[in-house]
Amino acid sequence: MGKYYLGLDGGSTYLKAAFLKDGKIVNTVVLPTGIDNSATAKKIVAALCKKYEINRSDIGYIMATGYSRKILDVADDDISEITAHAYGVRLTAPKEYNPGMVVDIGGQDSKIIYLDGNYNVKNFTMNDKCAAGTGKFMEVIAQILETTIDQVGPLSLESTAPCDINSTCVVFAQSEVISLVARKSDRRDILAGMHLSMAKRIIKMIKKSEKGGDILMTGGGALNIGIHRAFEEEMMRDVYVAKYPQFNGAVGAALIASERGGA
Amino acid sequence: MSETIQSGHRRQELFIKKSTRVAASYLNRAKALSEMPEAAKPFFNVLEDTYVKLRELSEKESRKTIGTLCVMVPSELIYAAGAVPVRLCSGSYTAYSIGDDTIPRDACPLVKAVMGFGEIKALPVFEQCSLLVAPVTCDCKKKLAGVIDSVKNTVPLHIPPLKKEDADTEVFLRELYRLIPVLEGATGREITAGSLAQGINIVGEAQYEMSEFLWYRRHDPALLHGTQVMAIMNAYSYMPADAWARQMHRLNREMKSRLEQGKFVSRKNQPRILVTGSPIAFPNLKIPLLIEEMGGILAADETCMGERGLYDPVSVIDPGFDGMMRALASRYTKPCTCPVFVDNSQRVYRIRQMIREHKIQGIIYHVLRGCLVYDYEYQIMEEEMGKLNVPIIRVESDYNEEDVEQLRIRIEAFIELIKLKEYADLQGWKNLNKNKRK
Repeated sequence: MGKYYLGLDGGSTYLKAAFLKDGKIVNTVVLPTGIDNSATAKKIVAALCKKYEINRSDIGYIMATGYSRKILDVADDDISEITAHAYGVRLTAPKEYNPGMVVDIGGQDSKIIYLDGNYNVKNFTMNDKCAAGTGKFMEVIAQILETTIDQVGPLSLESTAPCDINSTCVVFAQSEVISLVARKSDRRDILAGMHLSMAKRIIKMIKKSEKGGDILMTGGGALNIGIHRAFEEEMMRDVYVAKYPQFNGAVGAALIASERGGA
Repeated sequence: MSETIQSGHRRQELFIKKSTRVAASYLNRAKALSEMPEAAKPFFNVLEDTYVKLRELSEKESRKTIGTLCVMVPSELIYAAGAVPVRLCSGSYTAYSIGDDTIPRDACPLVKAVMGFGEIKALPVFEQCSLLVAPVTCDCKKKLAGVIDSVKNTVPLHIPPLKKEDADTEVFLRELYRLIPVLEGATGREITAGSLAQGINIVGEAQYEMSEFLWYRRHDPALLHGTQVMAIMNAYSYMPADAWARQMHRLNREMKSRLEQGKFVSRKNQPRILVTGSPIAFPNLKIPLLIEEMGGILAADETCMGERGLYDPVSVIDPGFDGMMRALASRYTKPCTCPVFVDNSQRVYRIRQMIREHKIQGIIYHVLRGCLVYDYEYQIMEEEMGKLNVPIIRVESDYNEEDVEQLRIRIEAFIELIKLKEYADLQGWKNLNKNKRK
């Protein structure tokens, strides 16, 4: 019987887990990170063991990544998010994807990873101390507009005249949105404007020298169809979305775990 | 009035408490890296004396000290005038927050730290200087030279932004001649051909030991940690060159015996990293420490607080007074790879050379917030490194500890990237994070 391998991605908002067996993703779990990441991770391991009727020792290797990677003590080792995401793409990218750029939109940061033809990391850029291009920003705006994060994308697609949102800071953008609301702008237009502004912000991080290959979106942000479309519009190129985008880091960690444990 | 003085004292007291604590913690982290050479201790002691014990520069002959900034002020002239140069470029986070009140927000943290020390008057080596020679280099240093005069007697030294033509060197030569009476006035001693030759010899000794040391530093596996080298190089700022050279001689002997015994601080497959970019001034050792704490080896640096200041010796062709002055003017501009010069293609050349000599596998390009001149050169460096297939990342940082986690993830991912590139087989992969978890 092949062993199980687990990847844990302790993000700023959610803790994601990907369970791997024979090189295939058999399950994914997501829980709010909560105040005690380590306990949340243990809970996930226990739940998976129960579900598959296995012991902890049947899990060949556990690899942690994400912000809380160093404190998840159920893990055997940890790896940076950059390497984990680059690895995850090997399992989650659509077949037609020709490796190039990976755009990850997380809860607290966004990053761009440049891959060579063999999915190896060539370089990467990350945003600095700013939430305006991240999932947190989407959440804040959704709240102001009295909608939920899963509705943000579909609603924005109905927009006919996206609003301009210029602020580069999540707090200022928030007040900009509030004043748009006060001026009775359509919330669909506000959402479409927000997606365009986020896409522009992230595109600014892209290096001029690294434009080869296709673009793949990962991270919870990629679940939002609005940001996906805004990205295509701003890049003027097709943009692919990973399978299980939210779990891409966890999948990568699990894949590395299987290489590590299997060798 | 008395109330302001009182609060000024109180501020100074609090400043000292905080700044000494920060400096001590960085010293301890640097010392804690494995196998610190016995002969490196005196350098650490100098940094401790300067930043933690708050002592003046230790001097038996009670020579005067003269402050300098950057790497373009010829120390030889200061020794020739019977004084000792002290380089006041600082990495103090605490002084930075003092200077932040007077220096505009977008200026670099290094000038804020220097200004901060000027204002708080709590660093004895700074207070001890009777004069500050401030080269007019980047915009931040230029304006600093103007404003710091209010707290420390300062003489600006014009650095020609062009350096290729003889006419440019002539401009700097005139500047150096203009500096002579200023230095003589400060020390009351005349600069003669004899004393200048002696000054050149004093610095020459240090350069000789440095070139010897670089030979050991190139060794793979590494004979000592690069973070400790940065501390040793920073200690040069606060030591007379002859004292530094004597200690360096001891260190070189220890390196020699380490080499003979095969005593190394790095394992196989530890990425050899070069740091270049904005100055890494003590106590701001956060980038070198992160590199080595995350499993890399800082195998070389192309920075002005590191080996740049001591790499090239002064070559005197005509031993007359003017001949020596010309040799100084040439030495302190022509080979200098500071990006304040309009054409600085030498820097790329030098880094290419270092990649070969030090067997460098990746480059971390350090940009201090507001340091435009270094940021300008990142683009060309990235292109050049692309041609050589050497990975490079730009990391921006400031003088505080709030960005440590952001820097850590970047540096950690960069080290993983190099390991995967160089040792992509499973065996190398298995060693990736060895020893990271207990």
